[in-house]
Amino acid sequence: MKKKLACLVGASLACGSTGALAAGEGITLSGFLTAGATYADQKVLPPASTTSTGSRAVSQDGNIENRVGFTNDSRIGIQLSAKVNREVSITGQLLARGSDENFNMKADWAFVTYRAADQLSIRGGKLKLTTFLVSDYIEVGYAYPWIRPPQEVYYANPITTITGVDALARLNFGDYSLLFQPYFGNSRGEQALVPQEAVTGQPVCLTPPSAGPSPAYTTCPAGTIMYVDFTADSLTGVNLSFGSDLFTVRAGYLQTLVSAPSFGVSEDQATFSSVGATVDWKGLVFYSEYFQREIEGRANGAFPNQKGGYATIGYRFGKFLPHLTYATLDDNDNPINPGVTGLPLKQTSATLGLRYELGTGAALKIEAQQVKPEVVYTGQPGRGLLIYDPNLGPEASESVMIYSLAVDVVF
Amino acid sequence: MKKLKFLAAVAAAVLSLGTSISAQAALAIIAHPSNSISGISADDAQRIFLGKTGDFANGKRANPVDQTSGASRTKFLKSVIQKDEGELKGYWSKLMFSGKGQPPKEVGDDAAVKAWVASNPDAIGYVDGKFVDGSVKVLLIIP
Repeated sequence: MKKKLACLVGASLACGSTGALAAGEGITLSGFLTAGATYADQKVLPPASTTSTGSRAVSQDGNIENRVGFTNDSRIGIQLSAKVNREVSITGQLLARGSDENFNMKADWAFVTYRAADQLSIRGGKLKLTTFLVSDYIEVGYAYPWIRPPQEVYYANPITTITGVDALARLNFGDYSLLFQPYFGNSRGEQALVPQEAVTGQPVCLTPPSAGPSPAYTTCPAGTIMYVDFTADSLTGVNLSFGSDLFTVRAGYLQTLVSAPSFGVSEDQATFSSVGATVDWKGLVFYSEYFQREIEGRANGAFPNQKGGYATIGYRFGKFLPHLTYATLDDNDNPINPGVTGLPLKQTSATLGLRYELGTGAALKIEAQQVKPEVVYTGQPGRGLLIYDPNLGPEASESVMIYSLAVDVVF
Repeated sequence: MKKLKFLAAVAAAVLSLGTSISAQAALAIIAHPSNSISGISADDAQRIFLGKTGDFANGKRANPVDQTSGASRTKFLKSVIQKDEGELKGYWSKLMFSGKGQPPKEVGDDAAVKAWVASNPDAIGYVDGKFVDGSVKVLLIIP
């Protein structure tokens, strides 16, 4: 399949009868695709008014709505790997997301690997940041049981790639191995979703040109979805992972200095720590993770201290893998200083899912998730990871059902 | 380990005499004749084919080549890799798309793998026993 595609793409290259790519031995082209649909059973935002955009958005990024939508999970990635010589190889990945305008392709990562020894590789370039168990292949839905990894944990680190270096050092003990992965770099040109609490009522929205002689900053209406450019410098971290083909236990820690000029954030320290375990034994599938993040200074206004965790259990019956997930997101002793510090988000969710193998390399998944937003501070609305509506009182937080269907393919 | 090496040596001797042991469709793990290694355990072969090591036990670089499909591949997955096609796809998806490894190159059928191994000094492959001849060195026989 891989080679066939390589032949198709490199149509001008002579493809031998065996299908091997004739030019450039050691070049492999592979890819992955997810086509997904979502539906939430109720509106969260009120009808359009002067104080609200009145959209059908349900998730805080607006991609899951109270109607059938296809943007949240749909994506395609193409990966090219090439051996330069026995010790050096290069890898690049292009990714296009349904939630990006026009499915624009961007280079998700691109790096060079130097194999210093059999169990030691050094990599440099744009690398995927391994904050959690499936972070470094988070776009490859085929490689994990859910349609999307539990958001109560995976949303917590908006930094998904770094430009820098890392090392993969492995120690083997029979069937078990220990992976030690230190990394150092920075992250530029990424965007993070600003919590609605931080923008609603703040004079940071531009009025449309038609509303006045020139665009001016005005108060943002409820339900404003805003992304902020941020940089993360001196990003230092380490991952430790121990396991075999049957289980993996991992722990990770990272610290960085975050800046977001448009929000007056300059080099505030952020730390993430996470632990997790996964088991795949005789049909039993188990995943569980826990994280804490602490963010100081003005950055805390947009990224409050949080902690969260989840557990997934499933069992494989032939081609079927039914699974159940319970996830929670909570306050992590965030300082309370209204207008200065952020408002931590709190929610729990339960997800029932089914994965069905469509032959080798493709899977069909369906999920039903009940999301329960909760109040953190009395008098503040509890919205969890849903979009914010200030017109609903703190008691009004109801649970929302999100239904999803997806097909994941690797090729 | 010793037993395996002995078995492999015997099998290699038998095969090089031209005696066919293909009645049970035995699988042979093969390397280039210049490779100094005398045999390999199924565990070590599995580690090489799953990308957990890039070296033979003698420290020489190992470059595994796979078959695309067919009876030999089915038998190899079952008895050496111990994963089915789906599990193997999932295993490699995680490594490939996290930039931590690439699956062995697929070069075709028994004849193609034998030809490849015969002409690449660091290669390791597997073929149906009846394809074995003097152009390759047998490291292990899986009956």
